[in-house]
Amino acid sequence: MNSAWFEAMEADARNRPEVYRVLGFADLRLVVEETDGDAVRCFGLVLDGYDVEFAGELDDVDAFRPDATVTGPREAWDEMAANIVANGGADGTHTLNAMSIAELPLRVWSADPVGRDKFFRYAETLQVLFDSLAGAAITA
Amino acid sequence: MTTVSADLEYLRRAEAGKFDWGWLRDTKSEWGVKAQPGKVGLTMRDIAVGSYGEVPDHPSLRTMAPRGSDVDPDVPDMGYTINTKAEVWSDNLLDLYEEAVSRQWSATRDIPWGELPELDPDLEHAMCQLCTVLSEVEMVASDFPAKWLWRINHDFVEAKMFLCTQAMDEARHTEVFRKRALANGGGLGKSKSVIERFLKLILDAQSYDEGSALMHILGEGIVLSLFRAGELLAPSPVEKRIFRLCMQDEARHVAYGTMHLRYRLERDPSMAEDFHAYLDAGEEIIGMLFTTPEVVEPVTLLAAGSMKAAEELALGGADMLRGRVIEEYLQRCDHAGLPRRGRLKLPAELLVGVDDGEGKVA
Repeated sequence: MNSAWFEAMEADARNRPEVYRVLGFADLRLVVEETDGDAVRCFGLVLDGYDVEFAGELDDVDAFRPDATVTGPREAWDEMAANIVANGGADGTHTLNAMSIAELPLRVWSADPVGRDKFFRYAETLQVLFDSLAGAAITA
Repeated sequence: MTTVSADLEYLRRAEAGKFDWGWLRDTKSEWGVKAQPGKVGLTMRDIAVGSYGEVPDHPSLRTMAPRGSDVDPDVPDMGYTINTKAEVWSDNLLDLYEEAVSRQWSATRDIPWGELPELDPDLEHAMCQLCTVLSEVEMVASDFPAKWLWRINHDFVEAKMFLCTQAMDEARHTEVFRKRALANGGGLGKSKSVIERFLKLILDAQSYDEGSALMHILGEGIVLSLFRAGELLAPSPVEKRIFRLCMQDEARHVAYGTMHLRYRLERDPSMAEDFHAYLDAGEEIIGMLFTTPEVVEPVTLLAAGSMKAAEELALGGADMLRGRVIEEYLQRCDHAGLPRRGRLKLPAELLVGVDDGEGKVA
């Protein structure tokens, strides 16, 4: 995972406003976390209205005040990205929900369950954003 | 000829253009309020300004007059029975209403029905059975708010509006699962009395408090997890989209239920035991659902892909799903201020892996 993923998502929301407008507005501050051994990288995604207001790497997760965090090992994120690129969008077992429902390999969590449930409230918007990686031909 | 009450003298004056404009500027409501639209348009939160944004805890009238308007003194009493704000309110209500309106979708237009692939007959049977269950349970979440809507004081109009969106959402869920059952050569499956009994518990609730706890927190929490599982198990992108769109709606209803219960208990902590009693009676549904073949086996079959593989998987998929249902439900109860860990009355076999407050049950 790298900043290019998130730049691609932000660009997709900006370049295809008609798609995101139909999906409806959202209000979410999501941390996307990648673990690699002891190393942890965190990226932030802020959905506000129909826009992606911020998408990029975070230095201070607490200051970001996330509603929820989706976390998983680097291999899982790489596999998801490769699958999205190969299929033009995530296949049945590589959507955000499919990879997180059993809490393996991804896990969605928050100290506030209403914050965590936002991950489900905006599931379609998030999936369209992640699927846009296919158009950007981005992998790991 | 029927005699009606009409001011004929006014009619004659008005016909001559003799209007008395005195009332127009003599209205006893707040003037000079100008709501400013935000980035997505003019929202309910944007117009919650000045006195119009003040929602009384105990309205003095029981009329349909718009809150903040100058109301005639002799308006009839509409007979509302829910006249305490905390009975229906939540802090996220205005935003959830706007979100619901913004994120509406059409089961006719937005699902690519023409792309449904032909499935192995066993998988088609399983999908149709799951759709039968979901089409059945979803309508109670329209019926329940509809039953209580007219009893809610009009000063809590934002709550009524949100419940209207829920009724529409659930009608669409009933529609989309009925359509899926009929769209691929399958048809409807079995309707089980065990499920009907839980729906009746919600519909027969003696108070909005009781019904909301059973439906918004417990029932819809379970269904949200079922939708999440459905998205994973969906045999084609068509069902995957159905489940994802339904998941969004259901999560919104659960968000209302959780924050409503929290609002209620913060203002009247003495009600906690009442809510515990409602959920004591309702939680049995978790045990019943996960021991009902017509629920467990379609999920297992879809997860495994064939009957033979399902027999090897056994309860692996259903156990995972039940664990998620229970844990997420308990977290929502905790957040609402109604800790249920240790109070959940389910057979020990169904609580394995659940944190009962003293650690995970072995």
